[in-house]
Amino acid sequence: MSAVGAAPRLEGRGNRGSASWMVVPALVLLIGFFALPYLTIITMSLREASTRAVYGDGFTLAHYTTALGDLYIWGILGRTLLIGATVTVISLLLGYPVAYHLAKSRSRWTSLLYIFVLSPLLVGLVVRTFAWMIILSNNGVANQALQAVGLINFPLQLMNNPLGVTIALTHVFLPFIILPLLGNLQAISPDLAMASRSLGASRMRTFWKVTLPLSMPGIQAGTILVFVLSISAYVTPAMLGGTGGRTMSVLVVQYLVDNFRWPAGAALAIIMAAVAVLFVGLYLRLTARAMRRLP
Amino acid sequence: MTRASSGVEKTIWDRLFTALVAAIYIFLMFPIVLVVVLSFNSGEFLAFPLEGFSLRWFEALFSNKRFLDATLYSLQIAATSTIVNGVIGTLAAIYVARHATVARDYIRLLMTSPLLVPEILTAIALLFYFYEIRIGTDYSIGIQIGHIVVTFPYVFLNVSSALFNFDRSQEEAARSLGAGGWMTFRRVTLPAIKPGIITGCLFAFVISFDIFNISLLLKSLGKNTLPLELFDYLRFNFDPTAAAIASLSIFMTFAAILIIDRTVGLRSLRF
Repeated sequence: MSAVGAAPRLEGRGNRGSASWMVVPALVLLIGFFALPYLTIITMSLREASTRAVYGDGFTLAHYTTALGDLYIWGILGRTLLIGATVTVISLLLGYPVAYHLAKSRSRWTSLLYIFVLSPLLVGLVVRTFAWMIILSNNGVANQALQAVGLINFPLQLMNNPLGVTIALTHVFLPFIILPLLGNLQAISPDLAMASRSLGASRMRTFWKVTLPLSMPGIQAGTILVFVLSISAYVTPAMLGGTGGRTMSVLVVQYLVDNFRWPAGAALAIIMAAVAVLFVGLYLRLTARAMRRLP
Repeated sequence: MTRASSGVEKTIWDRLFTALVAAIYIFLMFPIVLVVVLSFNSGEFLAFPLEGFSLRWFEALFSNKRFLDATLYSLQIAATSTIVNGVIGTLAAIYVARHATVARDYIRLLMTSPLLVPEILTAIALLFYFYEIRIGTDYSIGIQIGHIVVTFPYVFLNVSSALFNFDRSQEEAARSLGAGGWMTFRRVTLPAIKPGIITGCLFAFVISFDIFNISLLLKSLGKNTLPLELFDYLRFNFDPTAAAIASLSIFMTFAAILIIDRTVGLRSLRF
């Protein structure tokens, strides 16, 4: 027997056919229970409503025309987008300093600070929103503190309105902007800022002209993530939004679970998704233009 | 003047910046700490001033059958999701890293897509789909599949990242020394990517334990996961028992974070 014949095949080339079983279970899961189900949202939204079953026999566009002709739904859609945009801007303003600090940090506490950023992400949404209910309710911690200091005499309305939802969502999704930014900022070579400084630029100018432009990809990724997450959030607006802070997700779930209007609810879900895609697309075009102008 | 330390000089702006960052860290941690503190407070209300240390709300929690059932149900669903994804997510990651050629990018996109779309949309999609294919929501199978789908990317991504960092020549060395495919996998590849698998599985477990939207829409009547039970409880009650449940869930999360931090390091997390 020749030594060459006994040599095992090292590369996957010959094994490719025999290895494909490895991916089959995952493909079955994600095609069968993820990709296909998404198609049923579309078909469901085109079904006729029925009072006797989940949906009727025929197909119709009525759910879209009804929804788009309804000022109440436009109002909720507008509020949802406004909350999403506000949360995104505040998250960026609060998240950037933290990411910048963490990227530069050489202290032995860095890993603890990293836990501070990461842990809210891993604590359940219901738990975090519940914590904000304790803080924001009429006799909650925030109002207690403000009254104790003497800033106000009567409790402020801090929840059951868009304000409460915005505050809580900012907390809930802040880590989602810090982490992409952190990855981005850590990847920027410190030599660039050093070069800028040694050429006489102030630290402020170095930040505006070097670091900030180079961190645009992280800003872009993080802001899109936070925007999409906050306009589709359900738990937080459902728990502390009340009727004044009701968003599209809350309305959709109400259609599906409470009113049992599946086809109309599906149409609302698709409208919400379409608006999200539209806004993200628009935003990508705008930021892409801004990023192209960079040196 | 020490020009050498020019980068380290602390100006007033440095101090302001540090104060700002500290305030944001407090904003991040305050609500979580608050819940834990109030769950050990003996007072009747979820408010200050604190009245003293007490475990009464944990006692109330452990004598509440609904919460116990919900906890067990959540643990069962999370454990199943973790085990299933630990196997199929690891296999898929190895396939994509080692064998896939033509459709590699598409497969990778499909494998991570449950993370890229809002959970509420996936929940709605599965609700309709299970109705259409007559699985419905009468049994736990629907909610279980939903949890597996949503937590799949965490295992896939973490194992993929471990594979990416792993030097393939070790595998080749093993094979050239005569080890078979299975032997090479078990003795060389698996030990090398074990940290990635552990991280991915822990992550999948914690996320599955926490997620809400999938459970809300796919649960069968009368069977609540812990987040659902807490949500329902808070509709009619607002007392420290809820804080005790929340505390337990927070402790579990921190246990997972500590395990990850001690074994593989938090920075290796992928999501």
